[in-house]
Amino acid sequence: MFKIFHLNIGKITLLVAILTWLSLLFVNLTRLFGAMNQMDAGVSEEFTWILQIIFFIMVYLFYNHHINRNGDPGFLNNIWKGTSTGLFAVGIALITEFFYYLLGNSRLSDDPLLRNFFYHLNFGFTTVFLISISLIWRYLILYQKDKNVVQQWQAFEVILLISMFFVFFNQDSFNYSFLFGLFLILIFGIILSVNLKWIPYLTFKEKWKSILYLSIIILSTGYLFFIIVRYSEHNRLPIELTDNIFILGLFGFVFIYALFSFLVTLFNLPTSSVFEQKLTEAINFQRLSQSIQPGQSESQVLDILMDSCMSAAYVDAAWLELHPETDAPHIIHQRFIQDEERIELEQFLKENRPFKDFLDRNNGKSFEYISGKINHINYKSALIVPIKINKTVLGYIYLVKEVKDGFNKEMINIIATFVGQASISVENHKLLNEAIKNERYKEELKIAQRVQRSLLPAHLHSNDHFEIAGISEAADEVGGDYYETYQYTADQFAIIIGDVSGKGTSAAFNMAQMKGVFHSLVQLELSPSEFLTKANGALSNCLEKNHFITTTYYLLDTSARSIKFSRAGHCPTLYHCAKTNTSRYLKTEGLGLGILRNSQYEKFVNENYLEYSAGDIMVMYTDGIVEAKNRENKEFGYENLLNVLQTNPDLCPNEIVNKIISSVYEFIGQTTMPDDDYSILVIKFLK
Amino acid sequence: MLQIDIREENGHVILVLTGEVDASNSVDLDNAIQGLIQPKKKIIMDGSALEYISSAGLGVFMSYLEEFETNEIQFVIIGLNSKVFNVFHILGLDQLITIKTNKEEALQELYEA
Repeated sequence: MFKIFHLNIGKITLLVAILTWLSLLFVNLTRLFGAMNQMDAGVSEEFTWILQIIFFIMVYLFYNHHINRNGDPGFLNNIWKGTSTGLFAVGIALITEFFYYLLGNSRLSDDPLLRNFFYHLNFGFTTVFLISISLIWRYLILYQKDKNVVQQWQAFEVILLISMFFVFFNQDSFNYSFLFGLFLILIFGIILSVNLKWIPYLTFKEKWKSILYLSIIILSTGYLFFIIVRYSEHNRLPIELTDNIFILGLFGFVFIYALFSFLVTLFNLPTSSVFEQKLTEAINFQRLSQSIQPGQSESQVLDILMDSCMSAAYVDAAWLELHPETDAPHIIHQRFIQDEERIELEQFLKENRPFKDFLDRNNGKSFEYISGKINHINYKSALIVPIKINKTVLGYIYLVKEVKDGFNKEMINIIATFVGQASISVENHKLLNEAIKNERYKEELKIAQRVQRSLLPAHLHSNDHFEIAGISEAADEVGGDYYETYQYTADQFAIIIGDVSGKGTSAAFNMAQMKGVFHSLVQLELSPSEFLTKANGALSNCLEKNHFITTTYYLLDTSARSIKFSRAGHCPTLYHCAKTNTSRYLKTEGLGLGILRNSQYEKFVNENYLEYSAGDIMVMYTDGIVEAKNRENKEFGYENLLNVLQTNPDLCPNEIVNKIISSVYEFIGQTTMPDDDYSILVIKFLK
Repeated sequence: MLQIDIREENGHVILVLTGEVDASNSVDLDNAIQGLIQPKKKIIMDGSALEYISSAGLGVFMSYLEEFETNEIQFVIIGLNSKVFNVFHILGLDQLITIKTNKEEALQELYEA
């Protein structure tokens, strides 16, 4: 709906404009016919003026709508539109001339009706030309507008609108008030005509074109003005259409702006290449800082860099040498020079001062750039700029020119800026890629963490003789602590706790191996010492040379109320005896798994036996608990751990676990995290 | 921080460790011991200024046990404080490595045994 409405405005205004022109023609011819036949046609002059004003406004609305609808066609296209309108109007005027030339001195040539018809035709097209050009000037004047210019233009439009009605008050042309009004319009036109900001944005070629178009507009304006004036001098006009302050004012404005534009464009021609150059540099700069997208190579930036440097200094040949520190430098982006000549030139530079000193590998890093003249057959000056990223030299840019002293300070400055920007871009690109990679590693670690969590048991076996609780925390994403239970019969259980040397990913892998060993060997119903000997044998083949695993393996029989256990280098079990209400560590010899990788191992394993009674508590833990350090670098230690149990024997296993952890945190200070994995497993015997 | 000093005395080498051995510097300790491997060498490791040793540090000693045996190297650790000694003891390494309280005992072990 909206669009249709807009389409119609153009057509309606066009139609109304044509109809108004036709009625204007009809009214005026009727009046002329009446005057010729001494009859009063009864049409007052005001009627003509109103039609004329309607015609002006309709043409304005039509072009205004036309320009708004077509968007921004660019400066040259707009000017060309005005030029073509001008040529058309001039064409009509010329055809009229030619027609009268053909008529010669025949009667028809003196016919006032025919002459008036052509007068109306020329008036119509001149109006169209003036109004359309004025709107184009508006577009140019308001380019990069500010508030002041917009206000000035609006005032100008108001003055022009008022000037249309001037004829109602003053039919006497060229009296004082008429001249004053015209003068006002012209002054305003001159003030507005200093707004020529669009001209610098034209390229050299576009400037030539616009000079051509503008001169056509100036000539058209002049010619149309001449035609109109000639008609006015013709005394058989029934009513003066063109002795109008609006028309004359527009003539002045159109001519003044065209002349200003013409002259300014002409004088801007010699400096236009400088402006173009600066504009290219700005655009290149922007391209350099934006060009690398994640995943793309830095070569693209270097490509833009080369183009930018070459255009900034009007270079005749250039190339980029990457990684000159290595023995086989890699040449990329070679421009306007053949391999053979480049190698020769490079050799030439290396042998001659000042380049010789800098290209020497030992002090090549220190310089910002070197420029100087060379005594080569084809090239007379050269500039070498290193591209540095994080103080390491990525490569050298070689620029050579056929003229002597081809590189001035401004060129070198802008090239240095380009190189700096390119370095930043490449560096950012590298950092970004690293960040993406790190992000991926983080994701992988999260997966590892999930997998490892699943290696720790979700459920610990027990029966109504004892309660059990456990917890394990890793210092890094993954850890090397391990515990698990296994139930043989209603009364018989196997329990293991272990700690893999080291921490992080390598420890996590070894822990997974340990889990495999446990589940294989637990099936064999071995005694604790046999279990450890076999586990040592198995792990000796899997663990790296300097890795070991400490563990304690327990067999629990609730029908006999007995525990059999063997220790393989693991932290001694903490045991609370309910009868005596004392806590102690169960001391026993034992060697860590993987330390002695031969049959000698079994000599170092002891098997222990104890019988428990109701209320006894067994605390199994890893060294992360006792080795947790506070800010004074003091360890939590065995003494503190023992005290926690000694003072809290009435708690249930879960509470004991939490009590131990809170005591450790209290000791090390709430804020600091433990720097090792830690695990606790607590069993309390109920009957 | 770990500082490793090696000095030769008549017939034996003294390896002095000062500070803490953890995962970050266990490689240095490894390199130091690796450099001392010569058949029939006598090595005294002075750990009196050693404040802490992590499982990675223990792993270094552990990994040389076999090499010491095949090269008939005598390796004695002296001067460990009770905390560090306890770490060796719990793992059972004190059963495989000779640990003495002072240098006199170590020399006795090296030259009279």
